[in-house]
Amino acid sequence: MTLAIEKAAGRRPWPPRQSEFTRRFWSALAEGRFTTTRCAACGKLAFPPRPFCPHCWHEAIEWVELRATGTVYSSTVMHAVPAVFAHEAPYRVGIVDLDEGLRIATRLLGVTEGFAVGRRAEIVVLAYEDGPLFAARVLA
Amino acid sequence: MAAMTGVALVGAAAIPCGRIQRPREAPIQTLEHEALAGCVLAAMRDAGLPREAIGALVFTHPRPYTQQRYFGTFMANYLRLPAQGVLMEVLGNGMTGGLAFDGAAQMIASGRADVALALGVNFETATPSPEHMNLIMRATGDLDFHVPFGFTPLSWYAMDAVRYMHEHGASRAELAVVAVKNRRHASLNPLAQFRKPVTLEEVLAQRPIVEPLGLYEVAPMSDGAACLVLAREEVARSLGRPYARLRGRGFYHEGAHQISELPNDMIAFDAAARAARAAYAEAEIGPQDVDLAELYAPCTIVEVCVSEAIGLVARGRGAQAAAAGETALGGRIPINTSGGIISRGHPPYITPLYSFVELAEQLRHRAGERQVAGAEIAIASCELGNYNAALIHVLEARA
Repeated sequence: MTLAIEKAAGRRPWPPRQSEFTRRFWSALAEGRFTTTRCAACGKLAFPPRPFCPHCWHEAIEWVELRATGTVYSSTVMHAVPAVFAHEAPYRVGIVDLDEGLRIATRLLGVTEGFAVGRRAEIVVLAYEDGPLFAARVLA
Repeated sequence: MAAMTGVALVGAAAIPCGRIQRPREAPIQTLEHEALAGCVLAAMRDAGLPREAIGALVFTHPRPYTQQRYFGTFMANYLRLPAQGVLMEVLGNGMTGGLAFDGAAQMIASGRADVALALGVNFETATPSPEHMNLIMRATGDLDFHVPFGFTPLSWYAMDAVRYMHEHGASRAELAVVAVKNRRHASLNPLAQFRKPVTLEEVLAQRPIVEPLGLYEVAPMSDGAACLVLAREEVARSLGRPYARLRGRGFYHEGAHQISELPNDMIAFDAAARAARAAYAEAEIGPQDVDLAELYAPCTIVEVCVSEAIGLVARGRGAQAAAAGETALGGRIPINTSGGIISRGHPPYITPLYSFVELAEQLRHRAGERQVAGAEIAIASCELGNYNAALIHVLEARA
């Protein structure tokens, strides 16, 4: 599915590095697709994406697009934050279990009260001036 | 596998945890090697051993703020202390101090040294917290796939707390009782950074740090220095005074860094459970035999989760057990009689050394007002990540 793309102010406080390998993830994200790698032998998914399978160490992988929906496992509101993130504080981060059986941790959007445990969420693209990040938006 | 040679903890010394380091521009500095040298001399006096007996030195690696490079060998020069066993610095995140103890113990168990020091210094408070977090945030997951979202080490524990409250119906106040209890313990510990007792209302009224946790429910920044003296048990016996004997050890790393990409029960602290099973098995005891425990717990919730994982309290009952006084001095299983990380203080790389300092006092029955009556068996637990790894030692009193 194509992800919603939301404008974000300024530059990414901690821009992720890209390698020849991970560039594919970030390029897809910029186009609204949330992707990762799957083992060609055992079929298991990995996240972050890897050029080999971390579960069986097979070296043939394929890129797959994820549905980008999941359930909030936990979350918090960050008040004491690193200096590079000070201008965004307070902000919410959370752990989301994707429907494909992968656990990710990212920014959590769309929550105003409580911690949203057990609520459904979808991955969105945060389009900063210098490039994309992903986040999870909790669904109403 | 049991230790080949009996290992004993025969001496310990530390400076009080606190804000000791001065800003770089201050005309007069507090220096790491001066603080640590004092600990070495005091710990060896405590042990009653001559300096010539020392055969191995296992240092904790200092914080990057320590200007002196190759601190371990520099320190050996400062002390004019040769070693035929080993001299090294170890680093294992929050577990660093535990690895120093473990390394020193292995030097003795393997017969490569009769006496070994586990020692180190952690100075960091001259760096303002937001700047310090710019550094430590880089430990909180994959630098490119987690760190860009603004996590800190504490954020993982906060998410443990939220999940725990969700699963077990516990309230923030029930968890916060742990902070009140540990502050009361710290009030009796001269090495503690925060010694003024606090009420539950005061804990809950502090500013939020990582919701639901506030200032008094999380680790402070601390400086510290500590030295432990370990010896072959025959050496310890020859000294004719009480010591603590290493009876069991367990380690487990779950092969995940901070977060498991495969959904798991995050608050089960599986690594702690596995390390504890190994340590209990080697010691030939069960959790019911433990008289007191020093648990690495940077937040109230962590003490609750690890005390459950290692079987000291029932799953889901850790907060209630604390509220009922079971884990307080005088209770069924006193936990963190030192005051723990939150109140005793948290110089992270040497925090586990402070746990052993406390157990050395308790198992030699000289902990004064915070003495656990008849303390015979104690455990020390340390961790890294969100308890992605745990290292647990069982010690017993020997008179």
